[in-house]
Amino acid sequence: MTHEATSTVVTEVACPLCGHACDDLSVDTAGAALAVVAHGCDRAVSGFARLSAESSAATPRIAGRAASLDEACAEAARLLAASAQPVFGGMALDVSGARGAMELVDQAGGVIDHMNNEFGWRASRVVQDGGGIITTLAEVKNRADLILLVGTDAVSVQPRFFERCVWVKETMFDLQPASRRIVYLGGALDTTPGRSPDGRAPDVFDFDCSRMPEALSVLNALVAQQPVDGDAPLGIALARWQELADALLGAKYSVVVWEGSTFDMSQLDLNVGAIGSLVRRLNVITRCNSLPLAGNDGDLSMAAVHIWQTGYPMRTSYASGAPKFDPLHNGIERLLATGEADALVWLSSLNDLQAPPVTGMPTIVIAPPSLKLASEPQVYIPVATPGMHHTGHFVRTDKVVTLPLQALRKSALPAAGEVAVAIATRMKEVQS
Amino acid sequence: MSVIKLTGGRVIDPANGVDDQVRDLYIRDGRLIAAPDAHDRISAEYNISGRIVMSGAIDMHSHIGGGKVNIAREMLPEDHGGDPVERTDLTRSSCGHAAPGTLAAGYRYAEMGYTAAFEPALLPVNARQAHMEMGDTPMLDTGGYAMLGSDDFLLRMLAAKEDQQAINDYVAWTLHATQTVGIKVVNPGAISAFKFNQRKLDLDEQNAFYGITPREIVKVLSRAVHDLGVAKPLHVHASNLGVPGNVDTTLGTMDAAEGLPVHLTHIQFHSYGTEGERKFSSAAARIAEAINQKKNVSADVGQILFGQTVTASGDNMVQYRNAGHGSPKKSVIMDIECDAGCGVVPFKYKDQNFVNALQWAIGLEIFLMVDDPWRIFLTTDHPNGAPFTTYPHLIKLLMDRSFRSAMLDTINPDARAMSNLAGLDREYSLYEIAIMTRAGPAKLIGLADRGHLAPGAAADIVVYKEDADRERMFEKPELVFKDGELVVRDGRIVKVVRGGTHAVKPEFDIGIEKKIKPYFERFHSMRMNNFKISDDELCECGGGSRLMAHACRKRG
Ligand code: SF4
Ligand SMILES: [Zn+2]
Ligand SMILES: [Zn+2]
Repeated sequence: MTHEATSTVVTEVACPLCGHACDDLSVDTAGAALAVVAHGCDRAVSGFARLSAESSAATPRIAGRAASLDEACAEAARLLAASAQPVFGGMALDVSGARGAMELVDQAGGVIDHMNNEFGWRASRVVQDGGGIITTLAEVKNRADLILLVGTDAVSVQPRFFERCVWVKETMFDLQPASRRIVYLGGALDTTPGRSPDGRAPDVFDFDCSRMPEALSVLNALVAQQPVDGDAPLGIALARWQELADALLGAKYSVVVWEGSTFDMSQLDLNVGAIGSLVRRLNVITRCNSLPLAGNDGDLSMAAVHIWQTGYPMRTSYASGAPKFDPLHNGIERLLATGEADALVWLSSLNDLQAPPVTGMPTIVIAPPSLKLASEPQVYIPVATPGMHHTGHFVRTDKVVTLPLQALRKSALPAAGEVAVAIATRMKEVQS
Repeated sequence: MSVIKLTGGRVIDPANGVDDQVRDLYIRDGRLIAAPDAHDRISAEYNISGRIVMSGAIDMHSHIGGGKVNIAREMLPEDHGGDPVERTDLTRSSCGHAAPGTLAAGYRYAEMGYTAAFEPALLPVNARQAHMEMGDTPMLDTGGYAMLGSDDFLLRMLAAKEDQQAINDYVAWTLHATQTVGIKVVNPGAISAFKFNQRKLDLDEQNAFYGITPREIVKVLSRAVHDLGVAKPLHVHASNLGVPGNVDTTLGTMDAAEGLPVHLTHIQFHSYGTEGERKFSSAAARIAEAINQKKNVSADVGQILFGQTVTASGDNMVQYRNAGHGSPKKSVIMDIECDAGCGVVPFKYKDQNFVNALQWAIGLEIFLMVDDPWRIFLTTDHPNGAPFTTYPHLIKLLMDRSFRSAMLDTINPDARAMSNLAGLDREYSLYEIAIMTRAGPAKLIGLADRGHLAPGAAADIVVYKEDADRERMFEKPELVFKDGELVVRDGRIVKVVRGGTHAVKPEFDIGIEKKIKPYFERFHSMRMNNFKISDDELCECGGGSRLMAHACRKRG
């Protein structure tokens, strides 16, 4: 189905509502909210409708009372200037929002931690320890002959993964898309999307996902032609494991898909490290790549900007005037729980579902008007959403492709990045 | 109008044949003028008598932005802490040594008198990110060379024997779509070959799927760049990087351009022979002789300097092969979007290691044996050979023979014995340094109003205090002007500015999109229209930086 562009329907729209960043949506701009009329998954349809809805009633507030944007920024600047250790949470932003946030966190001497970063920083640490062999979506689409999904069904985080990367009409090379082999490692996953268009069921290694470290060590051993104990590791016949190892060795371009948040937190390093070993070992003989899924809530957009501007990933403190990276110390939950933080800034323009924690400390919320708050913050500033109300840029799951986000309907609200810069500017005025 | 006057400096301006002549310079509205007229008044005067004056330095090959650079930053937190940049009232905080943040990179380049830098391996599919990173690199004008040659679209065209005209249109379309100033090819065809599990690809070896050789790719791309009238010759990272004996491949690659302009990049890594006990030797003499003879060839050196750095390259085939030599031992290798690839491997060059020491000597040999400073460029392939902050040290090595000999005496003795460096007496002059770091790059890339100091030129000006210690001299210029504004004083930023983005705009037949659009829909993961970067979007990517568009005069 293609939806023709009309005077009110815009085609080839990029979607910032998950890390897949599909850019083929058709969006009708005529109504009171944006309507995704083609190529949107459920998340896109509801997200565009909710985030874009008319928001003329939304106004900044100081301690619950309506205020002008200027007054609200001034009050936020005052709170931040008075804070010894502010933390910046949420951070569901596009690149322009992240740029503004970086200016503010530097000025305020704070710490940034994205809402998904509890997994993100651990995945990043695995790269810092060993690296990885990684591929991107178009390579998967054209080359992957065997896709091994480790503890993830992909579609829970990126609903259109199979539609756009796997069960496509054709590939560039000698590979029939419908002939790809799909293997799930782990039980309780939605494996329906793994069924091929010609009705072939995927291969499911059904076991409790908390035993993933064992499963990966079995596979690693077999690929390395090492012996494995028992004739049914994790209750699955050894012959099936052996056959999978042989298939990986025989594949021309296998892809190992994983997603940090599906692993038990305490096993994340172990699992990601084991996937790295598996991929490295296979590459001695053939080609195999991992494909980490990320990018939801703009976590990769925020991470990318943070890294390129200052060199360090998030969880870096700017309190001393120079960046200090300490991911164990600078986690937002820890800083809030121990009381080391004394102010919270919640910045989000892409996620209106996750509310900031209630902390009892001075809180500044800069978020879409559709975000429901559990308690009234000291300062509240409603903002527009990139890709709906204003242009922007969004970093996709593979960290390589950045999609341009369009302005599809007008909003009187400012962009999150503009608000952050306005507060930083106010702080400079106050402090100089 | 108000005019800034620089009085009494010793001007070195090779583009205009000026070698150490005392001249007054006048700046109006960001540009040099011959002399003020009746409506002008001198608003500021700098007495710089006795000081050396050159135009702003231009780094024609430095990995300052894009996905692989950001991977390098992310994977090396241990690189950053020792080199912090503290926040001041003017500047933001940042850090990093071999893989610095963009803010640190911009400030440091400016503090060394650089006013422009070019990212040489901009993956078309990653162009937005590269421009965003360069946009967040303050102080500098930037630009990129778009990487082609392992992209499936081009390889399909070659396999289908499409004519040169169609290829020219695709190359021009890519330059427009990615907002770049030139084309680079990296290990021609081999990034694609690696995806088909080939582990090496010689100049005349075929890609297993397409049947295309590196030689054919260099030939059609150098022709396309030439025909389109793009000033910057095809930027070639040749096959077999780092392989002992690769000198023959490198010489063959020069010939693959069939007499058209061609630029061999980080040529030090491609100038190796197989002599000696360890089957690794310098082939600098053969390379230098070839450059001296073939007037269509230019090169930058990619000098290595000892210490910790990180190698970040589009050449995933070679980086995968070398990953085991990494220090610390970790690497990221990527296949990218049926477009390209990348590999990031941290590396520590050691002066007592035979191979590293000989690489150091080979780079210097090339510098000293190539006669024409207009065709050899001062680079360390930042950060692959060393971080760009080592340039003043490298300049001293080139200008000061006794310093060079003293350094040579300290390296691995077997490497020293294999090098003819001790016998090379040449000392670069300030005039030659100015060519290599300003006039030459501007001419090569086609920046008519940069790299020189004639009336009409952009007022990117650097004032140095003469110092026999050339490292000290080039480390900290006294004054740096960017587009007529004083931005650095005594090696410290005094004003933060945002540079512009250079891009070429060759003519082409937009009909090529009839082929490209369906290709994107069938095989790619994004739509053609979302791949292309418009002029307006470029400025947004750059955080508000301005586009400096360069027209091209068609030659084909
Ligand atoms: S899969 Fe993700 S990017 Fe694609 S339409 Fe759904 S929410 Fe948007
Ligand atoms: Zn290169
Ligand atoms: Zn390079």
